[in-house]
Amino acid sequence: MAASPSVVPMAAPVMPVLSSSSDFSNLREIKKQLLLIAGLTRERGLLHSSKWSAELAFSLPALPLAELQPPPPITEEDAQDMDAYTLAKAYFDVKEYDRAAHFLHGCNSKKAYFLYMYSRYLSGEKKKDDETVDSLGPLEKGQVKNEALRELRVELSKKHQARELDGFGLYLYGVVLRKLDLVKEAIDVFVEATHVLPLHWGAWLELCNLITDKEMLKFLSLPDTWMKEFFLAHIYTELQLIEEALQKYQNLIDVGFSKSSYIVSQIAVAYHNIRDIDKALSIFNELRKQDPYRIENMDTFSNLLYVRSMKSELSYLAHNLCEIDKYRVETCCVIGNYYSLRSQHEKAALYFQRALKLNPRYLGAWTLMGHEYMEMKNTSAAIQAYRHAIEVNKRDYRAWYGLGQTYEILKMPFYCLYYYRRAHQLRPNDSRMLVALGECYEKLNQLVEAKKCYWRAYAVGDVEKMALVKLAKLHEQLTESEQAAQCYIKYIQDIYSCGEIVEHLEESTAFRYLAQYYFKCKLWDEASTCAQKCCAFNDTREEGKALLRQILQLRNQGETPSTEMPAPFFLPASLSANNTPTRRVSPLNLSSVTP
Amino acid sequence: MASVHESLYFNPMMTNGVVHANVFGIKDWVTPYKIAVLVLLNEMGRTGEGAVSLMERRRLNQLLLPLLQGPDITLSKLYKLIEESCPQLANSVQIRIKLMAEGELKDMEQFFDDLSDSFSGTEPEVHKTSVVGLFLRHMILAYSKLSFSQVFKLYTALQQYFQNGEKKSVEDTDMELTSREEGERKMEKEELDVSIREEEVSCSGPLSQKQAEFFLSQQASLLKNDETKALTPASLQKELNNLLKFNPDFAEAHYLSYLNNLRVQDVFSSTHSLLHYFDRLILTGAESKSNGEEGYGRSLRYAALNLAALHCRFGHYQQAELALQEAIRIAQESNDHVCLQHCLSWLYVLGQKRSDSYVLLEHSVKKAVHFGLPYLASLGIQSLVQQRAFAGKTANKLMDALKDSDLLHWKHSLSELIDISIAQKTAIWRLYGRSTMALQQAQMLLSMNSLEAVNAGVQQNNTESFAVALCHLAELHAEQGCFAAASEVLKHLKERFPPNSQHAQLWMLCDQKIQFDRAMNDGKYHLADSLVTGITALNSIEGVYRKAIVLQAQNQMSEAHKLLQKLLIHCQKIRNTEMVISVLLSVAELYWRSSSPTIALPVLLQALALSKEYRLQYLASETVLNLAFAQLILGIPEQALSLLHMAIEPILADGAVLDKGRAMFLVAKCQVASAAAYDPPKKTEALEAAIENLNEAKNYFAKVDCKEQIRDVVYFQARLYHTLGKTQERNRCAMLFRQLHQELPSHGVPLINHL
Repeated sequence: MAASPSVVPMAAPVMPVLSSSSDFSNLREIKKQLLLIAGLTRERGLLHSSKWSAELAFSLPALPLAELQPPPPITEEDAQDMDAYTLAKAYFDVKEYDRAAHFLHGCNSKKAYFLYMYSRYLSGEKKKDDETVDSLGPLEKGQVKNEALRELRVELSKKHQARELDGFGLYLYGVVLRKLDLVKEAIDVFVEATHVLPLHWGAWLELCNLITDKEMLKFLSLPDTWMKEFFLAHIYTELQLIEEALQKYQNLIDVGFSKSSYIVSQIAVAYHNIRDIDKALSIFNELRKQDPYRIENMDTFSNLLYVRSMKSELSYLAHNLCEIDKYRVETCCVIGNYYSLRSQHEKAALYFQRALKLNPRYLGAWTLMGHEYMEMKNTSAAIQAYRHAIEVNKRDYRAWYGLGQTYEILKMPFYCLYYYRRAHQLRPNDSRMLVALGECYEKLNQLVEAKKCYWRAYAVGDVEKMALVKLAKLHEQLTESEQAAQCYIKYIQDIYSCGEIVEHLEESTAFRYLAQYYFKCKLWDEASTCAQKCCAFNDTREEGKALLRQILQLRNQGETPSTEMPAPFFLPASLSANNTPTRRVSPLNLSSVTP
Repeated sequence: MASVHESLYFNPMMTNGVVHANVFGIKDWVTPYKIAVLVLLNEMGRTGEGAVSLMERRRLNQLLLPLLQGPDITLSKLYKLIEESCPQLANSVQIRIKLMAEGELKDMEQFFDDLSDSFSGTEPEVHKTSVVGLFLRHMILAYSKLSFSQVFKLYTALQQYFQNGEKKSVEDTDMELTSREEGERKMEKEELDVSIREEEVSCSGPLSQKQAEFFLSQQASLLKNDETKALTPASLQKELNNLLKFNPDFAEAHYLSYLNNLRVQDVFSSTHSLLHYFDRLILTGAESKSNGEEGYGRSLRYAALNLAALHCRFGHYQQAELALQEAIRIAQESNDHVCLQHCLSWLYVLGQKRSDSYVLLEHSVKKAVHFGLPYLASLGIQSLVQQRAFAGKTANKLMDALKDSDLLHWKHSLSELIDISIAQKTAIWRLYGRSTMALQQAQMLLSMNSLEAVNAGVQQNNTESFAVALCHLAELHAEQGCFAAASEVLKHLKERFPPNSQHAQLWMLCDQKIQFDRAMNDGKYHLADSLVTGITALNSIEGVYRKAIVLQAQNQMSEAHKLLQKLLIHCQKIRNTEMVISVLLSVAELYWRSSSPTIALPVLLQALALSKEYRLQYLASETVLNLAFAQLILGIPEQALSLLHMAIEPILADGAVLDKGRAMFLVAKCQVASAAAYDPPKKTEALEAAIENLNEAKNYFAKVDCKEQIRDVVYFQARLYHTLGKTQERNRCAMLFRQLHQELPSHGVPLINHL
């Protein structure tokens, strides 16, 4: 799949510094490399890579004057193209791409050639965007293409075969291939690019977007450099392998990148993905202190604030971002979240729509818009929004889940099973889908399947702590009192071990059932303990008292009470066995025949 | 037996059996191809009456509709099409397009300005509301809506289109003229071609809404009526993906994709497409104001119903039931009787898989008539008839019911159901053992012209009913020993329904059965044995039965007995009476072949009772044959002979040739056996008659190549001639017997101990 290292042409001798080692022992060397690549990418108009390198370089301690790198020597070719390059770069910077390309035509130096091709590519992209507004008909919309791509591909592939492309050229070739949907070839070229020029973050990032699963990652032969660590951490986050990602990021922080806002934000996102809300929030707050004008990732931050219902903080964030730049996708998203939290769902939907106008491929907004429509009880619009989200990314589990919820609201439990199952396949570890599945099965009277779902939901670590109660009730319904009691015991155990003082509505139910269960089993001590607990709740107080009286009566009738001291809890040892969820589990095999 | 296929019960693109294209507003726009067609129309108007002959004009007019509706085609193809119908017009069209494309933008503008002239004047060339008129007006409207840059873009597109057409014709004319430069250019082009191979699939470019709708409805109706003419599953899917890429909101494409996936039995993709379709449909339903909330809720109900249908088609009956319950609940909540009606029919289809309760079905038919759903009603009647036929109701009642529903079909022009009804009659007649009637019905269906529009040159569609009728025809011919005719029919079937189409299984089974019967007649048991696997794959019950027969023929009695007992229990459970009787007959045969005819008698009586009860005349007469044979073995030939007189008539009238032969042979045997007690002159007379009958039997056996039986007949004849003292004839027969005996190895069964 990937080009083997032996056939990769060596990096041009112009940039001897760029062959980087894989360890982090020499941070100064790394800093030098970062500064160099930031300059190189800037010269070529690769702004995002330049920004990334500069940010990372900034996080490392400054170099003394003696260590500073002199700018790379200018070759004969570069000198020849100097004038054309300077002019074209100026045009490029003011986004006159065609003009830039015109003046660069015929230049031989690598830098000028790259800028030439890159301006042609960007010009095509820009025209494509303009065309979309002005196309001939509705069906043609999807057909508007970057016309320049094919020509670029032909030229670049010739150069590629002749081994005349440097790292940047390879990167551009890869981008062109990806835009033409030639994914396999693109991956090969990007891998080659990372071998030739490992410092260029853009190539790594493109690779991240093309790799869809862990297996693909395994088969790539990547260069052994310190950049690889950043790449792996990034892709683990993308592939939802959060623990591995966090591990990698921790390593990077340990070797000295602790001040990098990029790493901090990535860690925050990772915590968000595993729903460790408090940690993510604190990291984001820290990040905002360090870098108050940062807009990237702020949508994730706002999601967290939303989940915690922190109205004032969200409002502050929204106003702040709006002041910085109100025409950014992230800003629109934050404002949308803000309105949603204030229950102004129409306005929220409006802002999500705006976000989509700014970037139609911004996936999160479709899903969030779906949620808003759900709140407005506009189910058909919600379905539409979710479907759009799925079209952009089939792996968006929230959209599948949202679709499931929509149909559940429409009282179609069988119909929504399909959607929940899709969501479950994408997130086998997420208890919410499992509980939702279980509820649907319960409604369909498929109790065996429902039990499986609830049990699995508990096993993977239940977020809402409802699975056990539901499971217990199911057992109760099936008059499997033994299992029901065990579930209730586990439930209570869970709540107490959690230590949180949140009102659990089902606690009283659990105690009531347990009291009755022990009463039936003639375990008086346990029964009375539970009955006493019942008295602590309003709805079960009377029952608890009545039960206590009965117990007392029966005890007096029976033989002498053996122990006066009430046992704290009847907890069989087997139940407190380890219930830590396995890290990565396969999706539950519910019923083999249905897709 | 012709079964009413589930898929007929519901199809959202269809109301009362008619496929409709979705109409959601006409959206069209100008493309270079459309300009070329406009030029053609314009030229046609200009040439006037005299210049073009009447034949040419007629051909042109026929050409127009597909040009207006179809997808865009290249310029050279268009020229070719026009040239075929009218060469001189093609020339002038070519010149005008050339002028326009090589001229300036204003030529195109002028052209569109002039277009509307055709409507003006006291006697306009084009009527405003005619097909052509509508097309012209759409185009003019679409053109005037274009913005400045769009007009220019259209013009450059036209130039491109023209140049592509030119290049192609140049390439066609002088291929040998390839200078070095051109070769180079070509190489570059090839390189480009390699890169765009993926895109080449959609060489026709994006379809306009109208064109897309036309494409979808055309393919959908082809899938229903004549699968072989539709695109292959893979290419159809490619087209659909292409369509969806350009317009993801085009929900109908998802439904077609669902149908296409059903063709290849892909559960996952078809579920996905179906749900996607309804998600999309819900959105369009909500958007159109006229439907309002009603339309939205409606699609929800049908979504659940369709899901049930899907699961049922894939055999997930439990899932189907759950989905159906959901559909019923929602439909009940919103008082949608029509939807409930559909649900009820499906409930029957599902129930049919488990038990036979026709209460549901009767109810469904009544309700359907009440709500004015003739399609559903007569589909219900047909299902009911089918079920009643299996349940042994009298033929006249069934035929009455079919006649009534036929009235309904003709009234509403439900041609599909007419076909099914005739195919069903064929099957019922065969079930009752009336081969002549069955033959007649099958022929009637085949020589009938379809009411529906079908492709030119073909009178019928390739629907299931035709496959069923043809299969029956093949089997009927094979029964009469006309194997050449049968294989001819099968060859036709193979052509009409290629092996991977959805009704191919029908003829495959039929073909295997005929081959099996031939192999058995021929005594090639190993060959028959190898066919059993194929039959089992297509129909497991039939397969087991045939396996037992082969085992029996190979004298593996205990294995055969075991199999038959198992089969008997299973068939009794699923109430497959036809098979039960056949199995009973085989069991009886097993008994007397293992020399215990007394045990066979009650089994045979049971079979006789069953076949009389269910009016399966063919099986009944076969049972009588067996009974008579048992009596013969038990030594009461007179009794057997009188029994045979009862059965011989229907066998000779409707039975298979093999059965006719067997019956005659048996008659002869009985005659000989009973003649033993007669006085000599009478005895001679009886023996002579027996020899006559044997000759007849021999002829029948010869027709179906039953060498073993012929051998037995010849042996028997030789013995009779010997008794009568006719040495010459005896020797002839003996020689024949010797020849046959050398050819066929004897299996150690006493020669005469065989029906």
